Amino acid sequence: MTKPSTVATTPRFAPLSAAQKSLFELASTVGQMGILAGQIVRRLARADFDGLELKRNMYKMGVKSLPIVVVTALFTGAIMVVQATPIVRRIGAHQLLGWGAGFGTLREIGPLLTALMISGRVGANNAAELGTMTVTEQIDALRALAIDPIAFLVVPRFVAIVATLFVSTLYADALALFGAAYSGQFLLGVEPMTFYNGLTSGLLGIGDVMNGLMKSLVFGIAIGLSSCHFGLGVSGGAPGVGRAVNATVVASAAGIFVVDYFVTFLLG
Amino acid sequence: MATNVGASANAAAEESGLAASLGRQAIGLARGAREIYGVFVRTLYYVFSRRIDRVALVRQMYEIGNRSLFLLTIVMGFIGTILVLQAGLQTQRVLPDLSLLGASYLELLVRDLAASIAALMLATRVGAGIAAEIGSMVVTEQVDALRMCAADPVDYLVKPRFLASIVMTTALTIWSGGVAIVTGMITAEAVFSVNPRTFWNLSLVHASDVAVGLTKCVAYGAAIPIVSAASGLSTFGGSEGVGSATTRAVVNSSLAVIMLNLLISSAALMVFR
Repeated sequence: MTKPSTVATTPRFAPLSAAQKSLFELASTVGQMGILAGQIVRRLARADFDGLELKRNMYKMGVKSLPIVVVTALFTGAIMVVQATPIVRRIGAHQLLGWGAGFGTLREIGPLLTALMISGRVGANNAAELGTMTVTEQIDALRALAIDPIAFLVVPRFVAIVATLFVSTLYADALALFGAAYSGQFLLGVEPMTFYNGLTSGLLGIGDVMNGLMKSLVFGIAIGLSSCHFGLGVSGGAPGVGRAVNATVVASAAGIFVVDYFVTFLLG
Repeated sequence: MATNVGASANAAAEESGLAASLGRQAIGLARGAREIYGVFVRTLYYVFSRRIDRVALVRQMYEIGNRSLFLLTIVMGFIGTILVLQAGLQTQRVLPDLSLLGASYLELLVRDLAASIAALMLATRVGAGIAAEIGSMVVTEQVDALRMCAADPVDYLVKPRFLASIVMTTALTIWSGGVAIVTGMITAEAVFSVNPRTFWNLSLVHASDVAVGLTKCVAYGAAIPIVSAASGLSTFGGSEGVGSATTRAVVNSSLAVIMLNLLISSAALMVFR
């Protein structure tokens, strides 16, 4: 009883102990996620997971997220063109618009924004669902029936999240470029054909697309791990579920940016 | 089947034609927009007509601002590095000279990226927090208790969050822009050996860029709590409901940030051409 009360009553100014506490918390969270990842990989290697649950989650996470992905991608493309406009005007090179919007979208903004939206919709929802099951002791019930909750619940969800994000990113890349081409015509008077020529004139290659797709795979792993981890670790009834959802969203958003940094450095 | 709590409700609403589902979605969208509009108008009314509770305001400012500082510092630090790295690598393919890298980066950061990326992070952190808090109050009937005491929950709960978010979003955006500039500068020096003096080139940052950036801060700061509070107030049904309200808050406030970004950016492009 003493430990939580000291934490609650000393929010005044203790930066060192606060930093130490949050560092330890971070390390323990990352370690637990690593253990969960190991458990998932072991089941995946043995192909020991529930196929029906996988199909159901693919539908619920992938197909149902389509409207959000479409809207986000179209707007993203338009924003890229709006931001590239002053630079293009200054250089006076309209044929470079396709390149400028294309590399930003394919390498960085497309995968990043899709991952943020999917993490908000799918990751949070997944944590809430697993959290509700934990709070209502459905996970314990599964264990009592000798059903492995990791194989039955976690692996299908994890695979579905990774697959959803990968496919959504592919789709979002195409749609964002489409949106960029037509907003370029509307805002700058650049013909869509000029835009496509700039896109395919050799400055951008398949490497840029693959770079973005690699990122989306890694982002998917980050979102899946954090949402399953926080969902299974819920304690303390309905407010606990709310806290877990909050933690999931924050952890996956921060995780996406941190992972993005390392992937960018590794892939160059 | 018992494990899949939400699926049965979804499946029941699924069975009908394309037109029906499109219509249902349109009605849902219109209803959601009306709800957000209602909360916004009532918040504005209470901001100007009622006394502002200072204590609640300061508490919310701490909750929204100080507690997001760590997350934003980390994220914007990484973002600054990534952006300079990507921009530099790409520019090297076209132009041999990287002396304008800093100027263009600062311009983009001031006009758009500092505000928009900080707001996307705040939409997830603050939006999820507000929706989860108000949602659990709704589920545990505390909001109904407020109504019984003749206190409008919009006045009592949403108004302090609204004002605190506008102030703190602006402050956090300026801070996170500073962080991104510093890490970008270090990356440019380390990877492309661009001198920090060359990098710190404000010749492309105009007053209009600063105005656009600040407009975005205020717009995002106002939109995030309103959208999240609207989804928190419309929570129904137990802990499942709180989870889905949180999800809705995060998605809707991120979408609001993206849409406002496009709206303000293209308006600025028309005005300051």
